[in-house]
This record gives sequence, structure tokens and C-alpha cells, in this order.
Amino acid sequence: MFDWVEQLFRGIWQSIVGLYEIRRGLGTVAMHALRPPTTEVYPDIVPPLPAHFRGRLALTVNPETGEHLCISCRQCERVCPDKCIEITAHKSPETNKLELIDFKIDHGLCMFCGLCTEVCPTYCIINTNDFEMADYTRESLVYDLKKLTLTQEESAYYFDRKENPLPKPKPAKAAPAAQGAAPAAAGKAATAEKPAPAGAGQTAQTKAATEGESAKEAETKSPDAQVAPEAPPKLSNDEGKSDEAKPENESGEGPRQG
Amino acid sequence: MIANAAEIRKFTILSWGWLTIIFGLVWAVSWLVGVAIPLLLANVQADWARLVTEICQVLTPLVAVMVFIPINAMFMVLAERRALALFTVRKGPNRVGPDGFLQTLADALKLLFKEDITPRGADAFMFTLAPIIFFAPSIFGALPLLAAVTNNHNLFQVVNLPTGIFYVLAVSSVPVVGIVMGGWASNNKYSLVGALRSAAQAISYEIPLVLSIITVCLMAGTLDVVKIAEMQKGGLLNWNILGGGALSGLNKYFQALAAGQADAHQMLSQYYPDWGSVIATVVLIACTVLLVGIYLTGACAEINRIPFDLPEAESELVSGYNTEYSGIKFAIFFLAEFTNLFIVSTIATVMFLGGGDCPLPDWLNPLTNPAVTQPVGKFFSFFTDRIHLIDPSTFFPAIWVIIKVYALVFFAILVRGTLPRFRIDQLMAFGWKRLVPLSLIIFVLVTFAKGAVRLHV
Repeated sequence: MFDWVEQLFRGIWQSIVGLYEIRRGLGTVAMHALRPPTTEVYPDIVPPLPAHFRGRLALTVNPETGEHLCISCRQCERVCPDKCIEITAHKSPETNKLELIDFKIDHGLCMFCGLCTEVCPTYCIINTNDFEMADYTRESLVYDLKKLTLTQEESAYYFDRKENPLPKPKPAKAAPAAQGAAPAAAGKAATAEKPAPAGAGQTAQTKAATEGESAKEAETKSPDAQVAPEAPPKLSNDEGKSDEAKPENESGEGPRQG
Repeated sequence: MIANAAEIRKFTILSWGWLTIIFGLVWAVSWLVGVAIPLLLANVQADWARLVTEICQVLTPLVAVMVFIPINAMFMVLAERRALALFTVRKGPNRVGPDGFLQTLADALKLLFKEDITPRGADAFMFTLAPIIFFAPSIFGALPLLAAVTNNHNLFQVVNLPTGIFYVLAVSSVPVVGIVMGGWASNNKYSLVGALRSAAQAISYEIPLVLSIITVCLMAGTLDVVKIAEMQKGGLLNWNILGGGALSGLNKYFQALAAGQADAHQMLSQYYPDWGSVIATVVLIACTVLLVGIYLTGACAEINRIPFDLPEAESELVSGYNTEYSGIKFAIFFLAEFTNLFIVSTIATVMFLGGGDCPLPDWLNPLTNPAVTQPVGKFFSFFTDRIHLIDPSTFFPAIWVIIKVYALVFFAILVRGTLPRFRIDQLMAFGWKRLVPLSLIIFVLVTFAKGAVRLHV
């Protein structure tokens, strides 16, 4: 009989509860105004990116000598799921080694999976931290060798940041093979010895002095072991012949790197 | 210390900067047209001079509104975006100008120069007419409120109507026609659905809106907005939001107490003679507080704001009735929407929040104290008496109106940041089953309670 009274009062009570809930929501939202914004002021302040951020692809040079690290092995081209890498190389008739002519990456196709950087035997192709690649045409997203190659300083920066092992020293036997280029080879050998102390320094920072010795040996050996099966033959081959053809080669590589 | 003090400070500086520009400009233009030109022509004994003076005085309100509306809409869009950014822990637009000060100016310029597209199959004439019909009422609706918000300044008495509030309500229901017209003429099903929703919603929520205004008019005994604003003078207790003037006896009693009158208690028993009047006062206070809630809800629905923005629900209809609009027509729709928000806030201020009245009662308010006002008045006498740039009886009320109106606008933004959108059946059910009966009940209650207590003594 008095159901409607009960309903009425229940309705009024529900309205009061609802109004209270709305007020609580308004209060919560208003209190949010006191929190500092989570926005990053991106173009003004670039956020810190991790070393393994997969940004624009680039080719490194030897941070010590400025020599291009690509050996035209085409592993990156083969592994690329998008087929966005195109390497042009030819076997030089004089030196009988692969010579890199052009290296094209279509960043419009690339999906930044980073597979190419994993297979690269010389740590040449890397993902940089740069991601500002917006451009006006699709054609300008195809980067050629000149656009891809980093400077010596940038390479040094990325080698240091990604903790990649520095390029292997040139085989010592190459030096006596060419007497004409002896001073250059000697200089190269001298610089090539540097990576080992640098590696020692890095490991010494993290590990105790006694352990550091063994750890250094282990670490410097392991990349060698990985690279050895593929790289050394080519490298030695490359090195042995390039010393003879050094003048032309140097002049030929100079502008490409620049 | 507040963690977000920097952003809040930026928002405050931005708001006050824009407000200074808006009202400085409106002030300068109205002074130029309404005061300076007639003053210059005062000594010219010629027919054309008298004609120009007449025209200027009639044109002043229109010019003031026309200058005010676009700049104000620009400010409100920017303020809304920045305030929403504050509520959602973001930064908001901060690239154009210092801290995004000029963002909406850039947006407006962009919209003006954008291509104006009429979709294929659209009724081009109606398509063009719709934004005009949507926008025009916001100008006409703003005019009668000018006298109320400037404390009946003689420049704006021209546009004051004895049936002011009804005129405003009548005009504010016209934009629906523009929306339906635009939705129909767009030749787009989303636009049409949005437009029809808008029509249904506006018709449903106009009833509680008008009933709440009627109730206030019933308590005040007049439809004239200037008179309603003048009745509420004398502090917070006189405002319509607190019992529609039922507490003004209490206000008088406090005043007498503060003055140290011996017969203060007699005064209280004079204004509230029996328990009936006390109960009536309590009922009136409850009713008027509810009325403000009903009014704000109805107004939100009337101007299609969140949580009642079903006509342009982005997640359901692409952009509702203005889907097909671009360029300057879209800009006009946008302009009118924000102007309508300003107008409903102004109506709420005039009808419920005392218009240009200081919340402090007169006997506490330093601005009504002659010891304060006379030296200041002497200092500004050149501006007040010689060139009539400042009218103190208008200046301070106008500032109070500005503060109250933008507080309400800020509240609307807060609501927008909090509440989700209604579903259409919930909207209809809430409107017809809750708000309409509630406002009718309040109307009847106020009719009876009004007889038991003296209002606005």
C-alpha cells in the first residue's frame, strides 16, 4: 500500500547519493589540476633514449681510423624482412676483394626491427637514436651511402654507448707485405692496438682489479670468436690487398665517407 | 607548496591577460562610440551632429556586443583547452605566442582562410543560412543583458526590455532551428541524426530551464532583468540563490547588530514573525539551490555541452550536425557555441548570483564606504567627470559580473572534464521524469512559501 512512499524515498536517497558521487568526481578532477603535467616538452627537451632504441639506420666507420666498416657481406640485405636494403658492390679486378659502391636503405619501407644490426659481423650497421626523419617525399626517405655513413665522432659515440666491441685490429702480417706503405701500416698497427687497453679500462671500471684481467681476456676473446669465422678471411684479404692499392683506395673512400 | 604552481600561474596570467584585452577593448569601443563622439559633437549646433549622436547612442550596445563576442569566444576556447589540460595532467596548447597566448587567434585565422566546402547534394542556401540562424540569436540574446550587467548604465538602457528575461529565453531557443537546418541541409546521415537529437534535447530541457527562470521571476515579481539584479543588491544573503531574497531580513538584522542598534532583535521578529515564515525561508533556500542546479543542467543541455553533447557526440556521430561544415561556417558554429555558454552563465549570474553585486554586505564592503571612495574618486575625477571614461557605478558591478560569469564558465569546464556523455534514452528519461516534475514541484512550493515570508525587504 505504501510502496510508492518507499519508492519515493528511495529515489530521493539515490539522488542524494548520486549528487554526492558527482561532487566527489568533480573534486577529484579539480585536485588533478594540482599535479604537475606528465607532458614532455618534446622539441624543446628531447627525452633520454635507451642505447638500444631502434631509430634511423646508419653505417659506422672505425672510430679510430675513420675507415668504413662495411665489408659488403650482404647479410643485412638477406635478413631484412622488408627488403629495404640494397647493396651495390663489385669484386675489384685488381684487388680481388669486394668493394662497396653504394648502400641504399629505404626508410619508408623499413620497420625498424633491428635484424640487420644483429647479423652485421663488423657492427657496421646500427640503429641510431635519431628518430626525426620526417620528409616531404618518399624518394627522400631512401638514404644512400653518403647519408647513411656516420662521422668518426658519431661512430665513436655509438660504439661507446651501445658497448659494441671496437673493430678488430688489422692483422699484423699485412704490414710487411707492402713496404711502400710501411709508415702508414705501422701507424695503423699502433692505433689498432689501442682497443685492447680501452677495453681493459671499461672492464676495470666495473670489476675488481684481479678479476678484471681474466674478464678482459674473456670479453676480448669472445667477440673475436664470433667474428672470426666470417670476418678474418675477408678482412685479411682486404687488408693484404688494400695496402698495395692504398693511395687510390684512400682517395676513393674519402669523398664517400665525407 | 602546490606541485603544479607553474602551470596554474601560467593559466592565471593567460586568463587575466585575455580578460584585460577583451574588456579593455569593449570598454574603449563603447566609450568611443557612446561617449567620446557625442562629447565632441556636443558643441556643434547642426542637424547632422544631433543625428550622429543619436545613431551613436543607439549603436553602442550593438558595437560593444559585436566587438565582444569574437574575442570572448577566442579566449573561452583557449581557457577551456588550458583548463582541461590542467584537469587531465597535461600542458595544453603552449606553442603559439608566449605560453600559447595566441593559439586561438591563429586557429581563427586558419579557419577564416580555409576553403569553404559545400558538400555535393547539399541544399546550398539552407547550408549557408544555418550558421547564421545559429549565431544571430546569441547577439540578440546578449543585448538585453547588457543593462543588467552594467548596473543599468545609461548607454545600455536603450536595449533594456521590460520583458527582458523572456525575450532572452525566447531568443535562446532559436539556435535549434539553425542546427536542424544545418543537419538537414548537409545531406549527411550523421548530421541529420545529430540535428534531430539536438532538437529533441533542446525541447526537453527547455521546460525545466524556463520553469526555473519563471520561479525566480515569480519570487521577484518582475521579468525585467535590471530590476531582478537591482533587487539582489546588498550582499550574499540577498542573492536569489539563497532563498530568493528571503534572507534579506537576516541581512538587515546583521547590519543593525553591526551598527550596534538596540532594537535589532525586534527587527528579526518583525521580518520573521512566526515559525511559518522560518519554515518558508528554509523551503525557499532549498528550492532556490535546487533551481540553480536545474538551471545549470538545463542550460548545459540547451547549449549542447558535455555531458549533454549528444548532437555532436564524436564517438557516435562523426561530429554531429557540423560534420560537413568547414572554414568560416564552422567558425561561426564554434563562435556561437561558446557565446551561448557565456550567455547562459550571464543569465545565471543575473538571475541567481546577484548580478553585479559584491558578495560582501554593504556595511562590510569598503567600496561603499565614503571614506575610501571619496579620495579615490577625487584622484580619478578627470576620467569620471570630464571625459566620462570611468563610471564607478558601472565599473565595480561589471567586474563582479565578469568574475562570477567566468567562475561559472570554469565550472562548466570542470564538469566537462569530469562527467561522461549521457545515453540518449537516459537523457530523455532524466529530462522528462526527473527534471520536469522536480521543477514543477519547486514552482508550486515556491508559490506557497513565497506568501509566508517577505522577500527582498
